[in-house]
Amino acid sequence: MRLWLRRLRVMTAKELLQLSRDPVLLIILAWFFTAEIYIAGSGISMSLKHASVTVVDLDQSEASRELVARFRQPHFDVRETGFSSRAAAAMLDRGERMLLLEIPPGFERDLEAGRAVEVQLQADTTNTVLGTLATSYAAQIVGRYATDRALDELGIGDLQLAAMPRIEERRRVWYNPNQVDPWFMSISELMTVITMLSLMLPAAAAVREKERGTIEQLAVSPLTPFQILFPKVIAMTLAILAGTAVALFGILLPVFEVPVKGSLPFFFAVTALYALAVSGLGLFIATLSRNLGQVSMLVIVVLMPMLLLSGAWTPPEAMPWLLRRLMVISPLYWFIELGYGILLKGAGLEVLWDSVLGLAVLGSLLFAFGVFRFRRQFG
Amino acid sequence: MPLLEVQGFGKRYRGKRAVSGVDFSVERGELFGLIGPDGAGKSSLMKAVAGVLAYEEGRIVAFGVPVDSERNAERVKGRMGFMPQGLGLNLYPELSVEENIDFFARLREVPPAELRERKARLLAMTRLAPFRGRAMKKLSGGMKQKLGLVCTLIHQPELVILDEPTTGVDPLSRRDFWAILAELLNEQGISALVSTAYLDEASRFHRLALMHQGQVLDQGTPEEILSRVPGSVVQFRSRVVAEVVARLRNRFPQVESYGSRVRLFLPGVAPEVASREVTAQLQGVEREELEVLEPELEDAFIQLLEEQSEERGPDLSPTVGSGAPAATFGLGAPATGERETDSRRPDRPRSGRPGQRPEGEEVMIEARELVRDFGRFRAVDRVSFRVRRGEIFGLLGANGAGKTTVIKMLTGLLPPTGGEGRVVGADMRTSSRAIRQRIGYLSQAFSLYRDMTVLENIRLYGGIYGLHGKALKARTAWVLAMAGLGGQEREMAGSLPMGLRQRLALGCALVHRPRVLFLDEPTSGVDPLGRRRFWEILTWLSRSEAVTILITTHYMSEAEHCDRLALMHAGRLVADQPPEALRRELVAEAGELLELEVDRPLAALECLKAHFAGVSLHGNRIHLFARDPEAARRRIGDRLAGAGLELRGLRRRVPGMEDVFVYRMGALEAAA
Repeated sequence: MRLWLRRLRVMTAKELLQLSRDPVLLIILAWFFTAEIYIAGSGISMSLKHASVTVVDLDQSEASRELVARFRQPHFDVRETGFSSRAAAAMLDRGERMLLLEIPPGFERDLEAGRAVEVQLQADTTNTVLGTLATSYAAQIVGRYATDRALDELGIGDLQLAAMPRIEERRRVWYNPNQVDPWFMSISELMTVITMLSLMLPAAAAVREKERGTIEQLAVSPLTPFQILFPKVIAMTLAILAGTAVALFGILLPVFEVPVKGSLPFFFAVTALYALAVSGLGLFIATLSRNLGQVSMLVIVVLMPMLLLSGAWTPPEAMPWLLRRLMVISPLYWFIELGYGILLKGAGLEVLWDSVLGLAVLGSLLFAFGVFRFRRQFG
Repeated sequence: MPLLEVQGFGKRYRGKRAVSGVDFSVERGELFGLIGPDGAGKSSLMKAVAGVLAYEEGRIVAFGVPVDSERNAERVKGRMGFMPQGLGLNLYPELSVEENIDFFARLREVPPAELRERKARLLAMTRLAPFRGRAMKKLSGGMKQKLGLVCTLIHQPELVILDEPTTGVDPLSRRDFWAILAELLNEQGISALVSTAYLDEASRFHRLALMHQGQVLDQGTPEEILSRVPGSVVQFRSRVVAEVVARLRNRFPQVESYGSRVRLFLPGVAPEVASREVTAQLQGVEREELEVLEPELEDAFIQLLEEQSEERGPDLSPTVGSGAPAATFGLGAPATGERETDSRRPDRPRSGRPGQRPEGEEVMIEARELVRDFGRFRAVDRVSFRVRRGEIFGLLGANGAGKTTVIKMLTGLLPPTGGEGRVVGADMRTSSRAIRQRIGYLSQAFSLYRDMTVLENIRLYGGIYGLHGKALKARTAWVLAMAGLGGQEREMAGSLPMGLRQRLALGCALVHRPRVLFLDEPTSGVDPLGRRRFWEILTWLSRSEAVTILITTHYMSEAEHCDRLALMHAGRLVADQPPEALRRELVAEAGELLELEVDRPLAALECLKAHFAGVSLHGNRIHLFARDPEAARRRIGDRLAGAGLELRGLRRRVPGMEDVFVYRMGALEAAA
């Protein structure tokens, strides 16, 4: 047993040593755990900000100007008000503007006459999320304007309004009360990075031994396949945990001010468990590949469905029934449940035990499978 | 004006000097050789000449045009043919023989009529015509190289540049290749610049340059080079080889032992004196069959290397050969953390005298009817042999002959399709990890971690085998001393020169004191000096430590070091005997090996082919076998005179293992 542990330690030390001597891998680690997460957290946003609007105001009246003025920052950014619908449409076509608001002539006159008027909104919904947001916000603005005008017409002031029966909406947003995107985005990016590196690093370490022929030297030694492979996983998991710590204490907390509600040790334990699980998949990839190039290709093949099935990009509820069932086989799904649960909701093991269990079961299966494949290959 | 002239050529890679100060020229119709180990700079030089590599220093002028820019290189490329290193690397594996040729012809814009005519002629000459439709990947190594040659020649170049065309090709195909090349040179007046790592191929060239570490050590005809390193070779047999070697090392630098034979080179000593000098040193030692021979190119090369080499391996060679290696190498407790059942002590005298292989002991390695199929291809076909304790067993054969597959099956890396392999009495597939503790393995790739230092590598392998504390320290010191790496402990394994890396890898494979050692082509690409030192260590291990060694090599000249040799060809074992027995058998069956000097070698070759066995061309000389040398001398003289040719000289030569291999293979093919 002592010999067994010593061998494991010797091999783990070797993996760490090799990792520390590989400038490319070190740069990759540094990049992904700092810059990548920062960019994702600060850059990518799923809310509507500064959507460029061009206005064709054919009425040039007080009413039309008031409507246009309601398209305000931060959601909208009215760039210009012109007269030619054709020129404006061309701008939309070229992708220079996202929205085109056209106000017909006689807008104010018709409003005052109490006739129904129509304004036209054209939107570029290439990005469906932003397109949908833009049109619905615009519809709200126009609708609100119409209501205000109507109340004005009727001479109903605020006092009368307060006396009228109506439903008041009061929102309580939990866990991310200001709906700060960087929180969500940076955490989800961190998890994606952890996933990718957990796949990539052990696979790269294993396939590098294959490329150089050292794997045979190990295979004829008294080491068991488990003793050959597990140290790689331990070493890479340690590296990933270190990277996670850097990302958490260097970016997430100080830059994005992500509040950590739950227990950090618990989060790191779960991350370690997750990295181990995904490493098994990485080792499986290594047995299929002959060189690093093939590893990278296969990692992409495996990573994409994992991401898509994880709920990081699309909420589970929005997925078709079959895909929702399949999500349980994506380790990232469990990890994201756990990650948000611990970091943002402050949940502990008593709530998340089923996710931990799911991850543990899935991880053991994947790792056992990786070792099994390796054993078949190298005896 | 020479066809090709190279002056002061130099090339750097990332500021590191790879080649420098190389001068030579190739005349029209000449076969010029570049001989040297890996990393000598041969490939860089050849690529630069072919106009595919930019260089910093010197001038290369081909056909009167300086090859110094992309544009100038294009001007001469049409008149040159270049075959890069590697078996069939320039060919397309999925295309057939004919499709490959057609592709190269179209690249070179050969008119269809000419292509048809040339293709037919070249295919006939290389005897590839029956395989026109076969995919290149299904050809043997020798055939791939011949196809490569055809593709290089299809546009009728005036100068062909062939980079190591014979490396890894079996000896029979190698001879075939040289014969075809000689014929082409003769018929079409082309010139060739050819590189090789085999020193024994030197005699094939008209002129050659010996290269080492980016420099030319010497150049000229083989005879000129030999004449510049005068001296004599003395060879004899003894029953106390180790003792003899130890004694002679004190006085002579180049002493080597091959099994029970000792061979030494005395630089600058005349034959009569040499024999006297050696005899004087051997007072009171039994010896037999002492003979004085002419030195060979390898002796000259090693002498030149010794003269200029600053990396004189530490105290390695004297210590290994000397009778008391235990002081340096024997240190350390038994090497395993697991229970060591082997109670032998390093310094305990073994049965039998030192230098003598202990006989009649247990079988350490055994192959029983081993078969291995890869799909429909049978890589190893019913191979059986036994290796006894302390024996050095050599497995010889070309790339693809099945040597590596045999080793992989024996070490348990690959399951056999049929049959069984046993090591120390256990099947490695199913054996316990404890058995693995007793074997060492050194693969072709020198399984070192290049991004780790010398010390880290040794400690890692020590740790894997359960060594720690004092035992690990002692074995680490042993490995460093054995490999001559003292003072270089902190260097990265990847930055060591080939020879040192090889010895470090050997040290790592030996760190746990294995009783059986498997070595898969451990010496490919290593310079002759490094190879000699390597063999000294192996001999010492076998003789003094009773380590059983199974080694594969494609250097036929190394085979002489083995106690027993198995020749492999196309997955089969062709022979399994001691080298001396193989040689005796060859002489008994085919006759003595004679070397002729004639005025017109190619004409003489044609003339003699029909009447003698094993007629082959070596540069300007002809080799053949004859049962009765005296009668043969007269018959040869008559035959040549009849054809209007002159016999200038004739002498007997000791046949090498390559001759044995080629003869056996020829007999097999004739029987098939």
